[in-house]
Amino acid sequence: MDEIIRLENIRFRYRDVEAVRGVSLALPAGVFGLLGPNGAGKTTLMKLLLGFLRPASGVGAVMGLPLDDGQRGRRRLVGYMPESDCLLPGMDAVALTAYLGELSGMPRQEAMKRAHDVLYYVGLEESRYRAVETYSTGMKQRLKLAQALVHDPRLLLLDEPTSGMDPAGRKEMLELVRDIAAQGSMSIILSSHLLPDIESTCRQVVIMNRGGIAAQGAIADLKKDRRNVYEIRAVGAAAALYAALGARGWKVEEKDQGLALVTPPGAGGVEELFRVALQAGAQVRHFRPSRTSLEDAFMDVIRGSDGN
Amino acid sequence: MEIRQKGYQRWQGELTPARFHWLPIARAGIRAVWKKKYAKLVLSLCASSFLVFLAAVYASTKPELKILGELVRMLKSDAELFKTFYSNGFLTFMLIILSVFSGADLVAADLKFKAFPLYFARPLTRVDYLAGKLAVILFYLLAFTLLPGVLLLLFKMLFSGSLAVAPRVLLALAAFPLVESACLAALTLALSSLSANVKFVQIGIFLVYIFSNNLALILKAIFKSDTAMLVSLPANVQQLGSLLFGLRPQYRFPAGLSLLLPLAVTALSLWLLAWRVRRAEAGA
Repeated sequence: MDEIIRLENIRFRYRDVEAVRGVSLALPAGVFGLLGPNGAGKTTLMKLLLGFLRPASGVGAVMGLPLDDGQRGRRRLVGYMPESDCLLPGMDAVALTAYLGELSGMPRQEAMKRAHDVLYYVGLEESRYRAVETYSTGMKQRLKLAQALVHDPRLLLLDEPTSGMDPAGRKEMLELVRDIAAQGSMSIILSSHLLPDIESTCRQVVIMNRGGIAAQGAIADLKKDRRNVYEIRAVGAAAALYAALGARGWKVEEKDQGLALVTPPGAGGVEELFRVALQAGAQVRHFRPSRTSLEDAFMDVIRGSDGN
Repeated sequence: MEIRQKGYQRWQGELTPARFHWLPIARAGIRAVWKKKYAKLVLSLCASSFLVFLAAVYASTKPELKILGELVRMLKSDAELFKTFYSNGFLTFMLIILSVFSGADLVAADLKFKAFPLYFARPLTRVDYLAGKLAVILFYLLAFTLLPGVLLLLFKMLFSGSLAVAPRVLLALAAFPLVESACLAALTLALSSLSANVKFVQIGIFLVYIFSNNLALILKAIFKSDTAMLVSLPANVQQLGSLLFGLRPQYRFPAGLSLLLPLAVTALSLWLLAWRVRRAEAGA
């Protein structure tokens, strides 16, 4: 299959709020991070992909099946791990997972066997016969992943999979996601506002802001744009140095612990930095090209899209 | 962690589109009711009405036994027998208990535990979901109305040694429990979809039963008219029985209204239910 998702000018509004504004997107098979601040429209977009919501306008397809038709077929191919703390009461984890497998179209016996397998895989083998109401938040997250995997979908939608988990649980959850991705048989869309989660599991990212797509591409490419930025720490007349650089067209962004990010007006310019420091009477004690994090790139994208 | 040793394993089977997508929901619901605390007690009480009538049917063929004389005298005809069985106050009350017991939590618990994303991420439509949930209540209601009705007929034939039965009685034998169960099931599920608190739903179902009858009696006392009994659930059950079995109506208002009313309540409840579930799906 060439594309897992193709959306053209999809719009959706909740009464007065336009939650998704003309989203167009084409994603090939692979692992994608869906990033965005709270209220960016990530969850609404996932609901549109699953058919929980109908777009007000626009066309689209998931796994080649159109959004306005073939809902059953589409959902058969998709596994969804919701963000909300949801479960089916009165069941243990095996019964719940097998039941949902059966609802996906698995034969009953197969669903039961597979339920044991996926619960073992997500690390719930010891507590699979416990009533799900008694589960901790971390266990519920694992159970939600197990139920999304039970029918071995072709596309896995993970909505904030590490939400509410402790650091160890979060690390294990991300390892599971990486392991599933490494098999290569399943495409994954991981929605999160936690940048480290996305950075540690995905190479491609779609950034949403205010209901629209703010940026899309490889994480490495998004970071590349900030290569001409330097991280410095100046002592002495640091304020005079920053003022002098500013007067010469440099962009200066002061950070914590005496650090500053400086960007020359054009390419190069490193020599000028040291020359100006000498003139200003400041010592540059720390100098290195800025290691751009996804957070920096993300903030740039968000600022850029907010400005538009 | 085991994952490093084993890794994600693909499932080698094939998903088979189910003919009845609602069936697993119904099966799981029926099993869940059976496992509930006091299930055996409630179900036994529901069955007790059938056992009394079975004894009466037997006694009617053996006058020398001289038991259940009053009940036996009432069961002069097949129509009278089945109408009395279906619309007797104890069975009606137990059906309300059964609706509360089997159906109050069906949608309410899904609302409380936010289960809708789990259901609707599957190849299920709202109709499948509702059909599965309705099937749970219908299963239990029909198990204590239609099934014992048919069994009573078979035993009556067996005890009397005669297969003769009027076609209208046969039709009414099936129609009465179907109309009554459909109405109760739809109403119960509609009330269940209105709150995530199961206790409120249980109280709501009881209120419909008790309040409707008390209101009818108050209105009847004020207006001195039997038409007021139209708002009473037990009175409508009586009137519907008379209509379907071709007997003289107990109340002086058109008996046809007692057929239209449950059908209207069923339709309204299903509409309300569909609306609530559509909202829940959108918010899933």
